[in-house]
Amino acid sequence: MSAMVCEICRESIATVHLTEIVNNTKKEIHLCEGCAQEKGVAIHSHVKNLSIPEFFGQLVESRDGASESAAPRCSGCGITYQSFRNSGKLGCPECYVAFQVEMEHLFEKIHAGAIRHRGKVPSRLDRSLRRKQELEELRTELMSAVEHEEYEHAAELRDRIHDLELEEQCS
Amino acid sequence: MQLNDFSNKAGEWMSGTGPESDLVISSRIRLARNLAGESFLSRADSNVRARVTTQIHEALEGLETEIGSRYSDLDELGGIDRHVLVERHLISREHAFGQGDRGVAYNANEDVAIMVNEEDHLRLQVLRSGLQLDATWETMNRVDNFLEEALDYAYDPKYGYLTVCPTNVGTGLRASIMLHLPALVMTRQVDKVFQAVTKIGLAVRGLYGEGTQALGDFYQISNQITLGKSEADILETIRSVIPQVMDYERTVRRTLLDTKRTVLEDKVWRAYGTLCTARIISSKETMEALSLVRLGINLEVLSEIDLRTVNELFVLTQPGHLQKMEGVELESIDRDIARARFIRSYLEFAE
Ligand SMILES: [Zn+2]
Ligand SMILES: [Zn+2]
Repeated sequence: MSAMVCEICRESIATVHLTEIVNNTKKEIHLCEGCAQEKGVAIHSHVKNLSIPEFFGQLVESRDGASESAAPRCSGCGITYQSFRNSGKLGCPECYVAFQVEMEHLFEKIHAGAIRHRGKVPSRLDRSLRRKQELEELRTELMSAVEHEEYEHAAELRDRIHDLELEEQCS
Repeated sequence: MQLNDFSNKAGEWMSGTGPESDLVISSRIRLARNLAGESFLSRADSNVRARVTTQIHEALEGLETEIGSRYSDLDELGGIDRHVLVERHLISREHAFGQGDRGVAYNANEDVAIMVNEEDHLRLQVLRSGLQLDATWETMNRVDNFLEEALDYAYDPKYGYLTVCPTNVGTGLRASIMLHLPALVMTRQVDKVFQAVTKIGLAVRGLYGEGTQALGDFYQISNQITLGKSEADILETIRSVIPQVMDYERTVRRTLLDTKRTVLEDKVWRAYGTLCTARIISSKETMEALSLVRLGINLEVLSEIDLRTVNELFVLTQPGHLQKMEGVELESIDRDIARARFIRSYLEFAE
């Protein structure tokens, strides 16, 4: 019952199905419309006449266009974008930044056009962001307190800043 | 090491309780999480794996006191035990038969399960009986927040929680509702429903996830999209479609009762008869018979057994559970004999 996934991007639902009879066995490949078009396959015309080896031959050629060694690699784990496309798996969190352009393009396909997170923010991150904000505000306040020679208030501010900095280091 | 002796008991999600439990077996929410500053498992050498496992173990120890979860190292469990965990929806098939240091922590009533080193460093799951997405999410969020206090998750303000596969990025959330839809299957209308469901970006799968057959007329409806929507919005999309599917199933059930009552009753009672008397029964035949009996209970055609017993039998008659109960690995034919005997004794029809 589950829909078939595209054999190239392994993400989108396959809507283009190619069938071929080779030595009495039926072979099938399943692609999403995007990938089929991207690979220059006109869905309604000559696809049906293209044999599977020919089809994948075309894919291999277009892949080899950018030689593997020259392809940019993720500085975190060393994989190339192509190796991600082959396995469907990223190597580390930094991959998302290293392949930002390609990834965002892919997100649009997988997540109905979305490229931005709109969900949960980790509470610790949330706290640390708030702490950073508060620190900035306190430092500004401290400068103005010193300028206005409000030393008692300045001392209070300095203590509060010191506490927050400690919290930041310990978290 | 031995798995807790639970193979003849059932987890909370099989209890047949909770809202809409005539049609909705369970509500499940899963979160994918990874640790910051470490390679994903796809690129992790044994050092990374060990570091990740150590960090997670410490965090899970804290959770142990919070929810009473216990950790099992999968490599220390035998093959049968791992099958049992899969059949109880506590781990995935890939996780059961994967490689390297990996495990699962789950609590006594099995509503919380945490897979360690599956595709992502962490896969958190909450599973409840009936239709209760809100309560399920509430627990899920609490467990996630608890672990997040101890662990530094890989998170990007723009892309959200970073996952091995970009299909999970953002919220990392997959929610699924498992439905029992025998009338729609019987009348060949189930495909129509699923076409409508897939159009709004939801996926439909069988009982044991991706690529599995819809055994026993069970279907899971879940979200595909994890990015660009809040957790609440994702749950809302699913929530909005479930009542329509349920209405459709109920309407068809009523029509069947009105127009083909005797045919339906005959099917239900024959299925029940098979379960009570068979000496050899395959997993497939069991699922089909249980599905009809389950329908019969809900339509008040049959009151000999309750929903809970049927729900439990769906799981307890799976190969892993049978072999666990018998204490040995069994060939297919011996499993079918053991299954028939077990069902008879469970329904108190054993000689
Ligand atoms: Zn594709
Ligand atoms: Zn990387």
